[in-house]
Amino acid sequence: MSATGIGRGVAPARVEAPPAPRRFLGLQRALPAAGVIAGLLLVAGPLLAMLVRSLLVWDGEAARLSLANFTRVLSEPRVWEAVGNTALCGAGATLLSCALGFTLAWLVARTDMPGRRWLELGNLIPFFLSPYVGAISWIYLFAPGSGLLQQFAMRHLGLDLGFINIYSLGGVIWVLTLFYTPYVYLFVMSPLKQMDAALEDAARVHGAGFWYTLRHVSIPLVSPALLSGALVVFITSAGLFDVPLALALPSNIPTMPTEIFAAVQYPADFGRAAAFGMMVLGVTILLTMAQRRYLARRRYEVVTGKGYRPRLLPLGRGGRIAALTLEAVYIGGAVLLPMMALVMVSLSRLWTGSFDISRASLANFTYVLFSFRLTQQAILNSLTLAVTGATIGVALAVLQAYYLNRGTPSRRGLADALLSLPLGIPGIILGLGFLILAIRTPLYSTLTIVLIAYVARFFPFATRTISAMFLAINPELEQSARASGASWAQSMRWVLLPLLKPAVIAAWLMLFVIFIRELGATILLYAQGTETISVALVLLADRSAGYVAALAVVQLVLLLLAFTLFRLTRTTVTQS
Amino acid sequence: MDSKAFIRVDGLVKQYGPHRALDGVSFQVDEGHTLALLGPSGCGKTTMLRCIAGLETPDAGRIEIAGRVVFDAAQGINLPSEERQLGIVFQSYAVWPHMSVAENVGFPLRVRRVPKAEQQARVARMLEIVGLGAWAEKSATQLSGGQQQRVALARALIHEPRLVLFDEALSNLDAQLREQMRMELKILQDRLGFTAIYVTHDQAEAFGLAERLVVMNRGRVETEGGPRSVFHRPATPFVARFLGLNVLEGEMLGSEAGQAEIRLPQGMTLRGMLGDGTVPTRGSKVLACVRKEHVRFGAGLPAELRASSFLGLTEEYVLDLGGVELRAVQPPTGGAPGDRVQVAIRPEDCVVLPAG
Repeated sequence: MSATGIGRGVAPARVEAPPAPRRFLGLQRALPAAGVIAGLLLVAGPLLAMLVRSLLVWDGEAARLSLANFTRVLSEPRVWEAVGNTALCGAGATLLSCALGFTLAWLVARTDMPGRRWLELGNLIPFFLSPYVGAISWIYLFAPGSGLLQQFAMRHLGLDLGFINIYSLGGVIWVLTLFYTPYVYLFVMSPLKQMDAALEDAARVHGAGFWYTLRHVSIPLVSPALLSGALVVFITSAGLFDVPLALALPSNIPTMPTEIFAAVQYPADFGRAAAFGMMVLGVTILLTMAQRRYLARRRYEVVTGKGYRPRLLPLGRGGRIAALTLEAVYIGGAVLLPMMALVMVSLSRLWTGSFDISRASLANFTYVLFSFRLTQQAILNSLTLAVTGATIGVALAVLQAYYLNRGTPSRRGLADALLSLPLGIPGIILGLGFLILAIRTPLYSTLTIVLIAYVARFFPFATRTISAMFLAINPELEQSARASGASWAQSMRWVLLPLLKPAVIAAWLMLFVIFIRELGATILLYAQGTETISVALVLLADRSAGYVAALAVVQLVLLLLAFTLFRLTRTTVTQS
Repeated sequence: MDSKAFIRVDGLVKQYGPHRALDGVSFQVDEGHTLALLGPSGCGKTTMLRCIAGLETPDAGRIEIAGRVVFDAAQGINLPSEERQLGIVFQSYAVWPHMSVAENVGFPLRVRRVPKAEQQARVARMLEIVGLGAWAEKSATQLSGGQQQRVALARALIHEPRLVLFDEALSNLDAQLREQMRMELKILQDRLGFTAIYVTHDQAEAFGLAERLVVMNRGRVETEGGPRSVFHRPATPFVARFLGLNVLEGEMLGSEAGQAEIRLPQGMTLRGMLGDGTVPTRGSKVLACVRKEHVRFGAGLPAELRASSFLGLTEEYVLDLGGVELRAVQPPTGGAPGDRVQVAIRPEDCVVLPAG
């Protein structure tokens, strides 16, 4: 009855043609897919270029396919030495930063160490600093004969530290450890904090002592996170160009990144560099795949949600002193001492290895900021690259994260695997790929190619951060907006993006930090006029310690500014 | 004091900042008995259990297990958890995801360095008992909630502790499984003869499992006794409300042979049994506690039917008794909201307690 009544009332509406079925993808599917495709092209382009180049050999004018580049690289003893050294540095840094990162995270998360709120933050600062500047600072601190620390030890403690040589693999491992400890720290922090305390309490009640519980329950439970962190640290620290450049190259110790760098210096041998790069890439991809398989089997649900928060372990007096000493060594070594050394050198007109406060001057800063074309241009370039790069990277990341969390489930896995590929590719290798790709195009020696390389190498960091936020956002929130009559674009603008905002800001600041200090890719792609701060630091390294330190302080200020903003937004970095 | 008490808790105090989680708790449990610590969330029952387990350190008081002092604030005795020889089952099961079922269950033996062969034999036997014989080599994470619960139970019993603690141990299971586990637990306890302390907020669970109940409220023991006496003669208004009884305010008129007559605010009079303790003086404020099932339809007090909800064999009614809400659970009668009805409450079904 009532149905016919209604039908009569709205009869004219029936005349209207029903809305045409949407054949077209629509914005909802096209935009995120475009983000994914752009990401894939950014990764595939340089890698394919490098692959092709590694297989080409020139006979006079004609190129032909050959494995000659590979056989040549493999037959060089120096290459094997470089690979061995790099593996050693990576392994050493990984072991040390795992031990240090786990201990620091455990102290902060699970004990009553005094000041742990501040230390929780302090332990993260090195994450935001430049490893190249860190290495330079450690040269100031420990240069043979003239290091600040050596002089201090000699004068006040009567200790001769001359036997320690910072220009060595040990020096490389030390500085890498300082900078990669926060990675492990971040990886294990959340399982340590969120683990159901009943898992450990059950062990205690059923008869296990503290150390037994730590070894057989706590550490195994954190081990998937610890191993993930270890692999990330190994791959990224071994591929890092900055530290070996500063500490290994001066002693002519070959390492993988510096050898690739050397191969493209005049007279450039791109075939050799590409072959070397391809082999490194192969190892990286194998390691990453192994990690994925391992984790797929062992991802524990440590977080049950029904458990309760762990109690804080009382350290006692001796424990507290030991814990604070470790913190002092770490934050002192990674943050305070290097900063102090930098400031001292930057305020000295002529650095001779000792600081005289009465002769301190701002001359280096005045010159670097107001007179020197190279450094002025470098600061401008770095800021331009960081701001535009972070913006483009984050925009791409939002689209990709949408695809990875809301898109067709069957395709997500592969897309995720491919899009996280750059996480493991050393900057210098991706830089090499882009160099080969762009060398005969108008893009060569422009700021644009540097920008593209930055985005290609680092967008996965942003995608990860934003993707993690997606997990916390129930799709029903957007669906309710759609059901209330909003279009997809409107539901994005008014519901999803505001909810994602904290992650978007965190990701933007993270990219900004990374781009301000990037060196590995830039060193291969810069040309006159497109130098960045980090490149300028390398170029000036032989000329004047004072200019280098002053410019490094400028960079440091930018990085610390980003760190402060990062804290103010009250978000945490999610990397797993 | 009862000399054969197996567990003795004396004047326990636990302070979290300004909040007193335990405010002088004392009770005892006999050997082989089950005690239920019952109360609403935040009453301190879990803190109490964790203090017994050695997972929290109380600020004052004394705990004795099997004749051994495990905690005494005055003497500075505080045995670590692992030396108290207990078993524990947590609400979240706390089954270790990186170990197999057999490794989980065998853990207490491994820690105690029991020879390998004996470990295996005992684990196999225990897994048979809890019905997981076929699952020994499975990873613990492959099990369902009910099975994980059994693993946790087997782990808590394998080293034959004389005291086993249960922290809301069945709360995560669905109703049917919980029913079944409750029965199995009783059978196991009869067979193995351990003493148990059982923390729960679910009264059915407490009544079903325990020989003795301690009802806690705001860090204090509100009442203590056998399930039947706690159920039938609620000792305080808090217990009555917690058990879901109707609690009506009234004024004492007089008493005779343990029976009190009280006047409800609306002028109606009601007779009930005086609770244990002192007899309230005439004219003082009292509370009448009546189980919903004991509010019957029939000649008596006039009331109006407000709402009803059908429960199957019974129906729950919300009645308006002169402005006061009264709930009744009775066989369905088919009344409609707005109906005038009369309800009768027998004096022996009503407990009268002093107010405040």
